[in-house]
Parts: sequence; structure tokens; C-alpha cells
Amino acid sequence: MHNTVTLPEGCILSVENLSMHFGGLKAVDDLSFAVKEREIFGLIGPNGAGKTTVFNCITQFYRPKEGRILFNAGRKGESLRPMNLVGLPVHRIIRLGMVRTFQNVEVIKELSLIDNVLIGAHIKFKATVLEQALKLPRARREEKAISEKAVEALDFLGIADRKDLLAGGQPYGVLKKVELARTLMSEPRLIIMDEPAAGLNDSETDALAQSIRKIRDTFGCAVLLVEHDMRLVMDVCDRICAISFGKFLALGTAREIQTSKLVQEAYLGEEEE
Amino acid sequence: MIAKIYKNPYIRFILFGVLAAMVPTLADWGVIRFGTITTLTQVIYFGIAALGLNLLLGYSGSISLGTAGFMGLGAYIAAYVLSDLNMSFLLGILIAILVPTAIGILVGLVSLRISGLYLAIATLCVSEILLESFRQATDITGGMSGKRTSFPSIFGYTFDRASTFIFLVAVLVLVMILTYNLVNSHLGRAFNAMRGSEVAAQAMGVNLLKYRLIAFALATAYAGLAGALCAYYIRAVSPTQWSLNLSLLCLAAVVIGGFRSIYGTVLGAFVVWAVPDLFLKRLPIIGDNPAIPFIFNGVLIIVVIMFYPHGLVHITHDARKLLNKLKKRGKGDADA
Ligand SMILES: Nc1ncnc2c1ncn2[C@@H]1O[C@H](COP(=O)(O)OP(=O)(O)OP(=O)(O)O)[C@@H](O)[C@H]1O
Ligand SMILES: [Mg+2]
Repeated sequence: MHNTVTLPEGCILSVENLSMHFGGLKAVDDLSFAVKEREIFGLIGPNGAGKTTVFNCITQFYRPKEGRILFNAGRKGESLRPMNLVGLPVHRIIRLGMVRTFQNVEVIKELSLIDNVLIGAHIKFKATVLEQALKLPRARREEKAISEKAVEALDFLGIADRKDLLAGGQPYGVLKKVELARTLMSEPRLIIMDEPAAGLNDSETDALAQSIRKIRDTFGCAVLLVEHDMRLVMDVCDRICAISFGKFLALGTAREIQTSKLVQEAYLGEEEE
Repeated sequence: MIAKIYKNPYIRFILFGVLAAMVPTLADWGVIRFGTITTLTQVIYFGIAALGLNLLLGYSGSISLGTAGFMGLGAYIAAYVLSDLNMSFLLGILIAILVPTAIGILVGLVSLRISGLYLAIATLCVSEILLESFRQATDITGGMSGKRTSFPSIFGYTFDRASTFIFLVAVLVLVMILTYNLVNSHLGRAFNAMRGSEVAAQAMGVNLLKYRLIAFALATAYAGLAGALCAYYIRAVSPTQWSLNLSLLCLAAVVIGGFRSIYGTVLGAFVVWAVPDLFLKRLPIIGDNPAIPFIFNGVLIIVVIMFYPHGLVHITHDARKLLNKLKKRGKGDADA
């Protein structure tokens, strides 16, 4: 094995000394943190702190020059293979048991909600092009079985009644749920959410907090999320890592982060409380 | 019960085929002219190529201006297998699909890392190279004077104009059904994902290069098939048929008929290849002007893009909506 690595005990993801530059701008600067199995972990920081960049480095949309992204790879029911993700093609990541959502929802407007969710199950389809064209038994069987799971995922998030509507006309809150439902289809062990509460009202945010916990409890996966809504972060996260200008500030429980001097200063610099 | 049968998409495709297959009979009865059959045959084979292009452009979001070149390749191969090798036309069709697809995959492997305008130019170049080879490889293609072939035959039965037409209709219906299956399977969703959001597609495990290649290969396979059918109906293949103009007309059929619509593509092909022949040429004064089809298509493309971006296929849908509205209003008036 060309990259045998070890993660810290009990961790599913370990970001080690990650740095990412854009020209002269250091968007992420020597950042390290680790997420435990089945943990809900928050990454917070003021606007432009580099949170989305960290996510893009983890999921290989960006290729970090320095640092390692160690992941205990393996989907549910597979044996685990700890590995360094840096350099892997983006489309491989989901097969390793890690899946993400996007800050600006990325759904396909021309498709129905259920078809959008089914895209999340892309890696589960085995039928060849010919089998699909001729609708041979295997293609028909897996389409049926996986569609049923997609309905379950939509139902899990309470939007199964809209399954056949086009994503194009749906309100933002529903699309956010579609993105979440889509992540569930690949049987991930780590779900990465970039601002899941952005654009949601208070009651929707409360419902989201419940959904996130329910996802963790039902599917036994870890959740890594970026969020500006402090109420949500403090509410659902087991641990939180705060960053500013790409640099590590503090890591701890909600209370520890709230009382951290460094964190308070970083946020005060941006907005007056 | 009948409504349920009518709603079944496969039954609809077959019904469509049955109706289309009556065209030669209508000609026999004198309802339509015999020339109309030839015009409608064009709609069929070019429509098949346009369906392939719709898979590529409408679904997967990549462009190609190479349709004509691959169609030409299919046509020459089909003619060669039937007339020079004296083998079955079915084998001819098979090889006319496989060889262009293989070449299409090779081209795709090098060119699909680029996209948009550059891909359009690259595929155009490939098409022009193929066209030039058709002109130069005189031993096989007959060069500028073209290549002759004959109506196909099977088990001692030789097709004629009418039965070839019916055979082509059957192939079209088959292609429509296969296309329908493909776009409604996970391949179709992967194409849609790729076009709608490259980042989401990648994050969900879609290998962009692989699926672009599949889309491109499918489009060349359809083009090869279209070329073979064209060769067997016209029984002659010449280089002038496969110019950029033909690729652009296929593009026009997709745009006018409707992205991501199977019936729309066929409708688009009808508008592009049949409407000028069947209707415009009959018009007084302007009908004789050879520029009319070009002007017609050009104007239509602009009008459709501006006012009907989903294509003419939506007209029936919108008309029905309008009708319902009028009906409701009529009822409202009556109530009042
Ligand atoms: N592709 C890119 N090219 C150049 N600069 C970039 C790129 N992506 C991000 N940046 C810059 O890196 C910095 C961090 O951006 P990032 O989007 O990661 O912040 P963020 O913490 O997610 O902010 P927000 O809370 O607003 O989403 C910003 O200054 C941004 O302008
Ligand atoms: Mg961000």
C-alpha cells in the first residue's frame, strides 16, 4: 500500500498542517483538526476565514500544496482503509464514504426532486450502458430498489410528497433538504455540510438541527459542518473549531468556544455585538 | 384502461411508428406525393443523428460540430460492406455504427479535456479531416464522383423504396425507445448532473471525463447509424453531403425541436428537413428562391431561442394550457 497512514485514535478525519494559497493570499494557513467517528463537528470563522476552502481541500476540489487530509475510508459495511486523500480525483471521494453539500445549493433544476436525490446514488448503480438502453433485468431491478431508497431519504427529511416536482420551482429550504437527502444515498460515514442553515428562517433552522442529529443517530455517521448561525452551531455540535484568516484559533465544546478570548476578538473585529 | 395504455411511453412510440409507416400507403392512395416519402426519409435518418446530438448537447452539455463527418463515415462503410464486400446490410449497419464510435472515442479521449467553443472547433476539424479523406480515398469512396450502392436485401427479398422507408421507421422507433430508456436511467441522470452542475456531479461520484466520453461515443454511434440508413435509402454516397452545413442543420433540429426531448428532436428534424421541401417550395413568388430554406431555418432558430427556449415541442403543452384556460373562462362567463 503506497499510502498507509494512521489517524488519531477514534478519528474518521484528520486535517494536518493544511495550507492553501491563492496567489499571494493565504486562504488556509497551517490548519490542523480532527473529527471523531459519529461526531458532529463545527468549523466556524468570520466571512472569508477560509472555511469553504478547507472543505474544498478535504474533498479534493482544490489540491493543497502542503498538509495531509487523512481519512478512515470505507462506506458502511466495508472494511476501513486509512489513507491520505490529497491528490485523489474528486469523483473518487464519495466512494470512500465522504460526501458533501454546497454553500450555494447545487441541484439540477430540470430534474425532479427524486431524480436529484438519485444522483447521490450514482456510485451504487452497476448496470452497463447496454443494460440500461435495453432495460435488462439488472438495470430495472437496481433502478427500482434505489428509487425506493430515494423516496425513503426524501421522507426522512419530510419532503417525500414533492418527489415528482421539478427542483427548479422549489423554495430554497426544500432544495437544502434535497441536498441533504442526496448525501444520504451513498451510505457515507462522514457528511460535510457547507452552511446548511443559510437562507433558512428560525423554525426551519430548528428543524434542521433536529435533522442533523437524526442523521447522525440513524445512520451512525460523523458530520462536519460550517455554519454562521451560532445558535445552530452551539446547539448541535459536539465540538467546534474556530478559525480566522485561515489560521487555527481554538477548538473545544460550545461553551469553551463561546468563552474563548481569541474567538471573541476575531468576531468582534468583524461585527459589533 | 385505454387512457392507461395511451399513457404508456412505449406504446406511444410504437403508435407513432405505425402512423409513420402508413406514409407509403398514403402515397399509393394518392393522398400524398411519392416525393414526400423521400423528404420524410431524410427526416428519419437525420433525425436519428439529431437525437444523438441531443444526448450530447441537450443532456450532457457538450457540443459537437462533427456530426456530418461521422455520418459520412457510416454511410461509406455501409455502402462498402454491402456493395464491395457483398455482405449483409445488417452487418453493414453494425460496422457503420462501431467504426465511427471507435474513432469518436479516440477523438474524445484527446479532445474532451477541452469544452465549449474549443470543443466545437476541434470536432469541426475532425469532421473536415474525415470529409477530406472521403475525397482522397478514391479506391473506396469513389472520390468526388461518389459511391453507388443498392437497396439492401435479406433472405432473397430486396427492399424497395416503400419497404426501406418502413424499415427506417422501425429503426427510428427502436432508437427512440433506446434513447428513452437511456435518458431515464442513471446514465441520463449523470448526463443531467454534469450539465446542471459539474461540481455536484463530481461530488456525487460522476467521472466527468468518462461520462463526456460516453455521451460523445453515443452521439457518434447515432451518426454512424444515420449515415448507414441514408446510404441504403439513397443508394449513393458522395462527399458533398457531409459538409459543416449538415452538422449545423442537426444542431438546428435540436434547438428548434427542443433540448432533452425525443419527440421534439424528431419534430425539429421535420421542421428543418421537411417543411422547406413540403411547404415553402409550394409558396408563390418566394418558393423558387433557393435561399428560402436557409432563411427559414435561421429566422426560426432566432425566434425559438428568443421566445421558445424549450423548443417547439412545448407548443402542444402550452396550447393545451391555453385551451384549458379559455375553457375555464368560457365556463365562468356562462356561470355569470
Ligand atoms: N478559487 C479561489 N480563488 C481565489 N481566491 C479564493 C478562491 N476561493 C476562495 N478564495 C479566497 O479565500 C478566502 C477564503 O474564502 P472562503 O470561501 O474559503 O471563505 P469562507 O470562510 O467560506 O467565507 P464565507 O463565510 O463567506 O463562506 C477569501 O478571501 C476568498 O476570497
Ligand atoms: Mg464559505
